[in-house]
Amino acid sequence: MIAALDLALREQAAGVASGELDPAELLDACLERIEERNPDLNAIVATFPEESRRMLAEAPDGPLRGVPVLIKDEWPLPWRAQTFGAPPEHLNAKAGESGPYRALRDAGAVIAGVANMHELGSSSTGNTSFYGAAHNPWDLERCPGGSSSGPAAAVAGGIVSGAVGADGLGSIRYPAAYCGLTGLKTTFGRSAMQGHHLAANTETIVSGPLCRDAADCRLLGSVLIGEEQHAGDARVRASATRLMDGLRIGVIRDPYWSDCAPGVLAACEAALESLRAEVGGEVIEVELPGDRLHIPAALLVAQSEDAAELTPQRLNALSPELGVINRGLIKLRALLPTSLTARAFLVRAHARRALAELFERIDVLAWPTVPAVAPQLAEPTIEIPSGISTADAGNARQGVIANLTGVPGVSVPVGLDAGMPVGLQLLGPWGSDARLLDAAEALERATDREFVELRPAAVA
Amino acid sequence: MESEAAFRSYLEWALEVFGIEADETECAVMSGVWSVYEPAIAELREADLSAVDPEPDADLSRAPR
Repeated sequence: MIAALDLALREQAAGVASGELDPAELLDACLERIEERNPDLNAIVATFPEESRRMLAEAPDGPLRGVPVLIKDEWPLPWRAQTFGAPPEHLNAKAGESGPYRALRDAGAVIAGVANMHELGSSSTGNTSFYGAAHNPWDLERCPGGSSSGPAAAVAGGIVSGAVGADGLGSIRYPAAYCGLTGLKTTFGRSAMQGHHLAANTETIVSGPLCRDAADCRLLGSVLIGEEQHAGDARVRASATRLMDGLRIGVIRDPYWSDCAPGVLAACEAALESLRAEVGGEVIEVELPGDRLHIPAALLVAQSEDAAELTPQRLNALSPELGVINRGLIKLRALLPTSLTARAFLVRAHARRALAELFERIDVLAWPTVPAVAPQLAEPTIEIPSGISTADAGNARQGVIANLTGVPGVSVPVGLDAGMPVGLQLLGPWGSDARLLDAAEALERATDREFVELRPAAVA
Repeated sequence: MESEAAFRSYLEWALEVFGIEADETECAVMSGVWSVYEPAIAELREADLSAVDPEPDADLSRAPR
């Protein structure tokens, strides 16, 4: 049964539905594998076999019936409050039914554990957590990416075939790229969010799937979104294929392509050409005026979402167990002038209009998900043509536009650089989540699924 | 360096005005983060946005109206 864990999410679901797989054995195998691999990966911060078995016993006949999955430490479960990768007293959240929990439960899925994350979701690296850093299965000394570090490390490490992450400023796409997975940042507001401590205020964070390929992301994403995403029947698949014909792929060379490590650039260039050839499409060089302002604008918009919480009383009572970087960051956020935030919202308005105009001329935008492969956990810096920088600064440049504007994005594994995975990001217009997955599947076909089938040596 | 000194000066003033306590390590983190993002923030502060219409009640799930 252990081998069944290595099947795709959809194959596990089909196996359970057909009676070929015993879901109780599948769950036991998953829990066994957590015990075996999690000491190295630190991808999972809580398991609860009794509750998992209860979910299985009560699982309805849904699209994921009996399939074990993980959920990021960003939403509550009826038996566990989320801690956001921080000391529990920081968020002081309560256990309860969250939107993603209900979506998974109603689909018949079994939550086998809670996955690690970068403390407070504040970095693209995953190298800091109250529970200790998660490790990248491709190289245990390297960052798994963040903030959805645990979901990515667990899926890449073969513990589960699908996990729910969250993407506030790229937090699904970066770890997908670092760990050689496919990760979907859904269009804002479409996927289950209820129960997240910022659900009422956020205009940037979404839930989304991290899986090994686009078809599994379609399945888990459909569950989170609550509607079919071109799943299943041949008629819809044929329609999807037709939609890909003549795909207009927009690229903005500078800085999204030009300022990437040579190995990342080469892999993404090759993938871009393969995709273009596969769909008989065209690559169109485009520009996005004002994009230099996207990073500060996105950071300011995102930080404004819980600004009301940043009272001196709260800041002076921060847990000493909270990492010093986050203690400094939170206090700095409280000191930023609100006039800057007002300007950030103007930049957002401009960016959304500019992107809408661009998507009248192109179907997708493509550029490397991250400018360099996963850096060392101990020193998460990267070397790119513009110089040595923090991984966060380089990654944010590639990722924040989707959160600033609300559009969906997907990271697709397209190669290796020095033995570490490389991801190509595709961004599409609002509501084009299914179409992005169609494009991701076209990309998989174009590369003979070589890179979605690759496994880290440690788990191969 | 001048910018870093100016930030430190602002930091000391702001922490006192807002009544926020911060130890030396936290202040060093704030200075470090600021030095990374200050150029972009400065660009945002100085950008001419006078021609940009705001998007009140923006619905991020859809294209702008």
